[in-house]
Amino acid sequence: MTAYGVGIGWRPEIAGFVAGLPGLRFTEVVAESVHAHGDLPPGLGELRDRGVAVVPHGVKLSLGGADPVEPARVQHLAAVARRLRAPLVSEHIAFVRAGGVEAGHLLPVPRSRAAVAAVVANVERTRAELDVPIALEPIAAVFDWPDDELDEAGFLTEILDRTGALLLLDVANVYANALNRGTDPVALLDRLPLERIAYVHVAGGAEHDGIYHDTHTDAVPQPVLDLVAELCARHRPPALMLERDGDYPLAEALRDELDAIAKASGYPVVTG
Amino acid sequence: MTLAAAGGTWGIPGPTFLVIYLAAVVGVAALSAVHRRILFRGDPSADAGRLGPQQVAYLGGRDRLAIYTAIGGLRAAGAIGSGPGRTLVQTGQLPAGVTPLDTAVYNAAGRRVRGRDVVADQWVDAAVTQLREGLERAGLAVTAAQRRTARLWALAAGALVLLGVIRFVAGVQNDKPVGFLFPATFFAVILSIVAVVQANRVPTYAATRAIRDLRRQHTYLSPRQSPSYATYGAAGAAMGVALYGAASLYAMDPAFAAGAEIQRITASGGTSGFTGGDGGGGSSCSGGSSCGGGGGCGGGGCGG
Repeated sequence: MTAYGVGIGWRPEIAGFVAGLPGLRFTEVVAESVHAHGDLPPGLGELRDRGVAVVPHGVKLSLGGADPVEPARVQHLAAVARRLRAPLVSEHIAFVRAGGVEAGHLLPVPRSRAAVAAVVANVERTRAELDVPIALEPIAAVFDWPDDELDEAGFLTEILDRTGALLLLDVANVYANALNRGTDPVALLDRLPLERIAYVHVAGGAEHDGIYHDTHTDAVPQPVLDLVAELCARHRPPALMLERDGDYPLAEALRDELDAIAKASGYPVVTG
Repeated sequence: MTLAAAGGTWGIPGPTFLVIYLAAVVGVAALSAVHRRILFRGDPSADAGRLGPQQVAYLGGRDRLAIYTAIGGLRAAGAIGSGPGRTLVQTGQLPAGVTPLDTAVYNAAGRRVRGRDVVADQWVDAAVTQLREGLERAGLAVTAAQRRTARLWALAAGALVLLGVIRFVAGVQNDKPVGFLFPATFFAVILSIVAVVQANRVPTYAATRAIRDLRRQHTYLSPRQSPSYATYGAAGAAMGVALYGAASLYAMDPAFAAGAEIQRITASGGTSGFTGGDGGGGSSCSGGSSCGGGGGCGGGGCGG
């Protein structure tokens, strides 16, 4: 995969900031916020035409659900990828609905062999419609299911091996999971197939009552940046992306975060 | 009666009068349009990049929007707030590099002028006049003299309306058919209205083009995008108000906008994105988040 360097998630609230980054070569847009045929969100088409790779990031496929993915949702994701001329798409290993009930959140899948089989089947159904590769993102979980048969790394590796999918690694998730379980985040990195990473999410979070929440609305803490450096020292991924989803700070603060990710990864700065 | 017997009211047959009348209406319409093109052309080298938010605001919404734009910039910079009795108050230092209108509004807030009265404040008014005169000199705003000239075409169109009405009455009195004269006079009425409205335009054609360019470049400031005013800063907030009207102020800081009795005016010359509802955008819970799902806002972790 081409090395895109440092990017930032495109969100309507900060579209003007994203468009103003001179060195930007890579961004991500929430797939469900892009219409398959109607107008593109303002400014997104211009970015694409400028040569910036725009990756649709699905949040509602529910790949981890026991039910098959809904064909209309898969077709939408594929149509959006074609419209944006995206080099790849991404989705979560999670479920957002079950038995027709919408959870409204990304929920963790039990790490069982049956769950692996369900995810693999759904990824296959999705890939059948896509013209480009898919990257799968494991989610942060503040709890584990009691009947887990596999550990996090084993579960992921199994899914990636059986589907041939790429990995979208959220470094802040790795940090959050390790912190909340009292394990070593670097040790988890060493057990993941780092050469399969398509790109990386870097987000901020906050600690409440002893539990670290991956909020995407706070600044990226230094330990997460340190983990980015650890990751890049082992195997530098083709792209790393600042993921901010709300409570947007001053433009200078966003620029500083992008520069900090560039510094930690060794990629050139995109801010000027 | 003899005149009517000779073939038509005033000795002019109906069809002949109708042709001449319609020709006059079309002639006035064409000539006035061409004349306005020249009169209101403005400076063709007007460049969108050189227009500041308050200039854009004046051109799109006159005094009030220019003042609201200053208020938006000052509010985003933390310089003013709203106080008891729907007044403006100073809450911080006047930022560097501000315009005379910013200074006037800031000083009015220092005197705790009520939000609705700031438009009538004499120092604010003087600053708006200064802004307007600068725009006129730059060929961006239509001058009062140009407006008076353009109104002469409204006079000409009005004369045609009068002629049509008199002929209509005379024709009815003489029992002549007037069925076609009615729509012809109606065209003259439309022409008069257009001439009056056009004579009151504020931006020159050059300025309108520049503002259209600016709006295209700043779609991200539309309240529909729930723009992050914190990220775009005071200049972005001001440009948002200038291009998209008071809706931007309500999206940015609804409590302040309501507290300062900001009227929900829009900027002319394009869709404002203002729906007249509660004006709320600005929430971080909008659809573009990657946190998944419908109700996934305000929970603990995002996780994705």
